[in-house]
Amino acid sequence: MEKFSQRAFLLCLLAALLSVPAGTALWSRRDTTAYYENRSLTEFPALTAEALWTGTLGTDLESWYSDHVPGRTTLLKADTAAQLNLLRRPAVNEVVPAGDVLLPLLSYEERAGSEYPALAKTAAEPFGKLSAHIRAYGGTFCCAGIPEQRVYFRDRYPDYLPRHETEVTAGDGAYARAMAEAGVDFLDIGAVYDAQGHRPEYYSAVDHHYSCYGAYTAYRAILDHLAEAGRDLPVLTEEDLEFRELPNPYIATRNRKLYNLWPNEERAVIAVQRGPVPFTRYDNGEPSDRPLFVLPAEDCLPATYNLYMGGDFAETVLETDRPNLPNALIFGDSFTNALETLLYASFNETRILDLRHYDKMSLRAYIDTYRPDIVLCVQNDTFYYLGGGNNDVWEDP
Amino acid sequence: MAFSSMAFLFGFLPAAVLCYFLIPARWRAGRNGVLLLFSLAFYAWGGLRLLPVLVWSCLVSWAAGLLAAPGRRHRQAAFWAAAALNLLPLLYFKYTGFLLDNLRALGLGLGLELARPGLLLPAGISFFTFQAVSYLADVYRGTVPPERNLLRLALYMAFFPQLLQGPIVRYGDFGPLLAERRETVSDASAGAVRFCFGLGKKVLLADALGNVANAAFSAGDRLTVSLAWLGSIAYTLQLYFDFSGYTDMALGLGRVFGLPLPENFDYPYLARSAGEFWRRWHITLSRWFRDYVYIPLGGNRRSRRRHLWNLLTVWLLTGLWHGAAWTFVFWGLYYAALLIGEKYLWGSALERMPSPLRHVYALLLINFGWVLFRAGSLGQAGAVIAAMLGLAPGGLWSGEAEFYLRQYAWEWVIALPAALPVKVWLSRALERRRENGNRIAAAVLAFGPRLLALCLLGLSTVRLLSSTFRSFLYFQF
Repeated sequence: MEKFSQRAFLLCLLAALLSVPAGTALWSRRDTTAYYENRSLTEFPALTAEALWTGTLGTDLESWYSDHVPGRTTLLKADTAAQLNLLRRPAVNEVVPAGDVLLPLLSYEERAGSEYPALAKTAAEPFGKLSAHIRAYGGTFCCAGIPEQRVYFRDRYPDYLPRHETEVTAGDGAYARAMAEAGVDFLDIGAVYDAQGHRPEYYSAVDHHYSCYGAYTAYRAILDHLAEAGRDLPVLTEEDLEFRELPNPYIATRNRKLYNLWPNEERAVIAVQRGPVPFTRYDNGEPSDRPLFVLPAEDCLPATYNLYMGGDFAETVLETDRPNLPNALIFGDSFTNALETLLYASFNETRILDLRHYDKMSLRAYIDTYRPDIVLCVQNDTFYYLGGGNNDVWEDP
Repeated sequence: MAFSSMAFLFGFLPAAVLCYFLIPARWRAGRNGVLLLFSLAFYAWGGLRLLPVLVWSCLVSWAAGLLAAPGRRHRQAAFWAAAALNLLPLLYFKYTGFLLDNLRALGLGLGLELARPGLLLPAGISFFTFQAVSYLADVYRGTVPPERNLLRLALYMAFFPQLLQGPIVRYGDFGPLLAERRETVSDASAGAVRFCFGLGKKVLLADALGNVANAAFSAGDRLTVSLAWLGSIAYTLQLYFDFSGYTDMALGLGRVFGLPLPENFDYPYLARSAGEFWRRWHITLSRWFRDYVYIPLGGNRRSRRRHLWNLLTVWLLTGLWHGAAWTFVFWGLYYAALLIGEKYLWGSALERMPSPLRHVYALLLINFGWVLFRAGSLGQAGAVIAAMLGLAPGGLWSGEAEFYLRQYAWEWVIALPAALPVKVWLSRALERRRENGNRIAAAVLAFGPRLLALCLLGLSTVRLLSSTFRSFLYFQF
């Protein structure tokens, strides 16, 4: 028995050790992306004298090999399932299953509350200049701050995990104050949600964005706010819309990190206009036939937050050909996407920029070129202090 | 190349094994040649620029070995010259920065620009340098004959299973096997099982517990008493599983190729004194210092004063061997103080203490010692030790400590018995039953460890795929 087990073991081991390189050689070129990790797989490294001399070839080959092992996704999915259901770790793949929502695992290191006022002042300064510039030609500038999902549901974190309360209490408050001091018309959507009872359906349980209901509430708050500022715009009321739940499974950012293994019945909801406002769309300067909601071809296929406007684009233009209405420019992060499906109906022309991707000209030059009547910035609150991207709003002439 | 990498496990290793065993056993030189070629490739994986130092050390040791053998003229000069030529690269690559930093700090720059040079420490230099010196010393003493075949000596120096982190092998043990050895299925199986267990120790336990240690040592003002203790215990376990896991892999591979390597660990956390700990931890390094530094200095056979001096010297060098930083110097001196204390002050009282208390005594001292070892600076070591003693900026308890307890609950539960000889106890119990004719025990003994080894290989591979690749802690030494 001993001899048999020794031989059987060595054969199994050798087979296992050889099957991986053989499988990689046969199938390595099939996949180029890791869907659940939302990234491209490492490409085969180039063999150069320098790479051999410095050893980077070995490191790069290791990355490539790890990425192209046959059955990698299945193995990682099984590992995630084991950690989630068997080992029951508090955080798996940096995602925290917290009751009925999924939240990101945050660092225990957090900025002190006292640091925020100075940082907020610096962050608000370019917005102040932008606001003054827009007002100078008669335009209206409004900045809407929207809580990110982890901020909205922060009370769901277990007590022993960090929830970055200071970032919210001190950081968001300081930002709002600094924006006001800089002369920026700042609208705190978080306060709007709180005034309406902080309803859980406003946010996705498994994605870092709000839900369609949260987006609609933000939309109404923004239009109400603009009306107070003297911009009376047509509004899509709840009667004008049909809130339609999609049958597709919703693969959201947080659950995607868990290989969509966290059980939930959440479905994406879209607010479809009963009497749609027609539009002509351009994406990145090219005519586009994308609709407002880019839905999966079949009901069984997964939907993501990218269904709103088809995801992030550097520049999107929606023309409704109603010259009696003002023109708008909306810039901001992906939280604008769901809003855009509603907001465009209030304007003649809606230009949408994501400054994380748009690099043809500065925001100031863009505004000077198109002179929008209303400029709206939409940012989630975890981006307030990051700098760059949609905070990069001003360059001195 | 690290053992715990996909390239090694599923590329280099099967290739080396296949090439090795495809060559007929009677052509020993051919098999040795394969091992040498793979060893050089293994080392060069980290960059061809690393190779010259290793090749230099091999050449110098081989040539000097021939000149330093008994009966040769000027053999003393040859020995000392070769030892210096081997030690110089180690001193240069490892200690230049430390020396310059201290000179600058002391204001002895004398107006010269003392910028720290950006030297890349060749991996494993401390290990292969010590092997080279031990070979030279043994040849000089006449305890081993000089090796005339350069390739054999190169294989002794560069044998990939132990090249980067030991164990430190003596040529007297290794050399004869290069000419005459027998690879068996039984040895290959036992070696492969040990390799898989070592891999599991490193990947499944050490790396996970390392996250706890990293969090505690970088906590700064968030450090609490509980987190400091948790972090130091995690590091104590991490270091053991990391280093002993690597050693298991090295010993396992050595056995596959018919080249058994010396044991490096004997359940060190079972020690009941600091002295006993060092007879169980990194055994080959302790023996090296004993045989090539401590005894030549006179050991304990001279005056007490001289003995104390010898101990201090050996432990200062031991500390410095582990790293060019004051934390390592103090860590070495810490053990010197403990060993001197156990020898001359409280040793007899310690022996009269109940065994559990002696274990607690040893574990506490070892744990505090590893804090010095792990800390990035003396200030950080002081902060963690102060926190462990109750002077923590964050108070007694924090959510962070609770998180690391919960997140790695399984690792904590498995690590504690895995650091004890539970496997040995189980094996003995099963063997007794097997001898009494129990077939289940026989089946468990025949298949259990091998099945477990395959499971550990699978789990480790999944973990490697899902986590960022990490290098072994002992690479830096």
